[in-house]
Amino acid sequence: MLMKYLFLSLLAAAVGWTQIAARAAHQADLDSFEYVWKTVRDKHWDPQLGGLDWQAVHDQFRPQIEKSENIEQTRQIITEMLDTLKLSHYRIIPGAVYSDLAKDSSVAVDGSVGLDVRILDGQAVVSSVEPMFPAKLLGIKPGWIIERIGRIDIPSLIKNFSTTAGGSTLRDLTLRRAILAHLEGIIGQNIVVEFLDEKDQLAIKTLTREPPKGTLTTLGFLGPAYVWFDARRIKDAQSTVEYTAFNMFLAPDTLMPAFGDAIQSCFKCDGFIVDLRGNPGGLGAMAMGLANWFVDQKDLRLGSLLLRDTALKFVLNPRPETYSGPLAILVDDTSASTAEIFAGGLQDLKRARIFGSRTAAAALPSVIERLPNGDAFQYAIANYVSEGGRELEGNGVIPDVEAGLTRAALLAGKDPALDAALQWIRTQKPKHE
Amino acid sequence: MNRAIFPLLLGCSLWTALAQDAPKQDAPKQDLPKGESILDRYVEVTGGKAAYDKIHNEVAKGTLELTGKNIKGTIVSYQAEPNKDYSAVDITGVGKVESGTDGTVAWERSAMAGPRIKTDVERDEMIRASAFNAHLNWRTLYDKVETAGSEAVDGDDCYKIVLTPKSGRPETEYYSKTTGLLVKTSSVNTTQMGDISTESFVKDYKAVNGVKMAFTRVNRVAGQEIQVHLDTIEVNADMPKDRFDLPEEIKALLRKNGAIPDAK
Repeated sequence: MLMKYLFLSLLAAAVGWTQIAARAAHQADLDSFEYVWKTVRDKHWDPQLGGLDWQAVHDQFRPQIEKSENIEQTRQIITEMLDTLKLSHYRIIPGAVYSDLAKDSSVAVDGSVGLDVRILDGQAVVSSVEPMFPAKLLGIKPGWIIERIGRIDIPSLIKNFSTTAGGSTLRDLTLRRAILAHLEGIIGQNIVVEFLDEKDQLAIKTLTREPPKGTLTTLGFLGPAYVWFDARRIKDAQSTVEYTAFNMFLAPDTLMPAFGDAIQSCFKCDGFIVDLRGNPGGLGAMAMGLANWFVDQKDLRLGSLLLRDTALKFVLNPRPETYSGPLAILVDDTSASTAEIFAGGLQDLKRARIFGSRTAAAALPSVIERLPNGDAFQYAIANYVSEGGRELEGNGVIPDVEAGLTRAALLAGKDPALDAALQWIRTQKPKHE
Repeated sequence: MNRAIFPLLLGCSLWTALAQDAPKQDAPKQDLPKGESILDRYVEVTGGKAAYDKIHNEVAKGTLELTGKNIKGTIVSYQAEPNKDYSAVDITGVGKVESGTDGTVAWERSAMAGPRIKTDVERDEMIRASAFNAHLNWRTLYDKVETAGSEAVDGDDCYKIVLTPKSGRPETEYYSKTTGLLVKTSSVNTTQMGDISTESFVKDYKAVNGVKMAFTRVNRVAGQEIQVHLDTIEVNADMPKDRFDLPEEIKALLRKNGAIPDAK
């Protein structure tokens, strides 16, 4: 008899504990919602939020959060609330990213199949194949169309997202990231990918995910990322040009010296190219650090950050020795944030000529903080205005020379933006000399 | 550790909003001691002039963290009479940001943005902030000091004094009425990017060679909170003679600008 009551008491206690745990999780979701809402209210650079009635937005979404049954729903509701701002750099990052990282960094960091992708005419097209990856050995070529990754039908994914994203400048950037995320996975795991080759014939390939190219870096709650830098000399009978590319404005300890070496080895070159296609940005100060190699005049600025209470100027400080020859910057609709600040700033200063296609128009400086429920919250803290008075957010950098990628060009081994930049540099050569 | 570190911390702040506390109401200015006596009392309660006079340089080492951002790093600061300074923070994922002055040239160099020389008011502010044993020598640094009222800092009733430098903006300091210790500073610093409001909450005093020094500073710079905890402060350290020499990149900039000062 006593044992029965003991059992029932324990059962009741266990139920109680469960309820307490559930309530605690729900309270954390409510607290997270309020934290996000208040952060936007208190830290958005425009106290009027562009005329948006933020209290009304709160009152609209709060009842939904109160009914939320799990963290996934909470994440979705907060994201919908942030979408009412119609701005980039406001997002919720699942907390699992950080718990995975804490467990095992080799698992958390996604392996790569060595392909890059662009959305061209509504199709996911391979834009480059890394030389040392199995994809190259399997004969996959730029210009091939990705039809399926595992169970994911890519044309459907593109169609569905395009319907919801409408004319957003972030559409192709977001789709590229989504497709690359499906290609990535645990290092050593295989993924079956269906392509349409250069003759539009179905080609089914099994790709093994390899450790990504570059140096692993972490910054705050940004999560792990592999940062790489490439430099090569392009020589022909008419000119010698240094070509550089890097995938993010991160890891300054390794990237900045590498970039400096590339410039210092080529002060006499006929031209210099910085390829920012696919570069989503990173640390804002690195835009100044790179631009400092290309200007020789004091008190120039890349632009200004307009915060709620003040403005911070992106002032350039010329390096002891600088490169004065023609500078071409390559961009496309996957160039974002710091990449846009660098390109747009130097374009306004008339120091660089921009080639490619319009950038992602997502140029807001932001920070990332953890929420009470374990997720992280990225939010913008300033608006960026270029020295010429342009707001890059929502507008992007418009190239001086439109030369976007096409599938036909990729299949022919051509790079229209790079080719146009090289052609321009050749015409500038006498001026540089 | 002196206030020359503030602009360095701005370099770590990674672009956030400027958030300032609303101004608090000062108590009526009745029976307030003169600013001079508040500063003299600080020297006395932290060890006395004789103890300060025995200290000629200082090396501080510790850690820093941007509160709530999961961004952490190390900090090291070298200072020597009369106004030499070299400080460096090294932050995971950001790299090293250094600043220094040999008493004439003020400079900064970061992994992100490269080297630069500070000029005009920014230079003057850094050299003044690098003054060694500044509390002993405030009369050479400031034209006047005034007691502006009383104000509570974290529940501690404090005297608020305003120091007006020979050049640049006034600085405000808060001294505990109970202990006489400095508990808070606030100022607007001139930087190349613009004017930046800074607040620093000074804590955790410990005696080093007979002088009480603060081992913790909670700084609010450009809207972000940066906690600096010092593990060690060594005084009268055996420093290399070239510790405060200008880095080669800074010398190259000076040569480029035709502004290398006379050899000191």
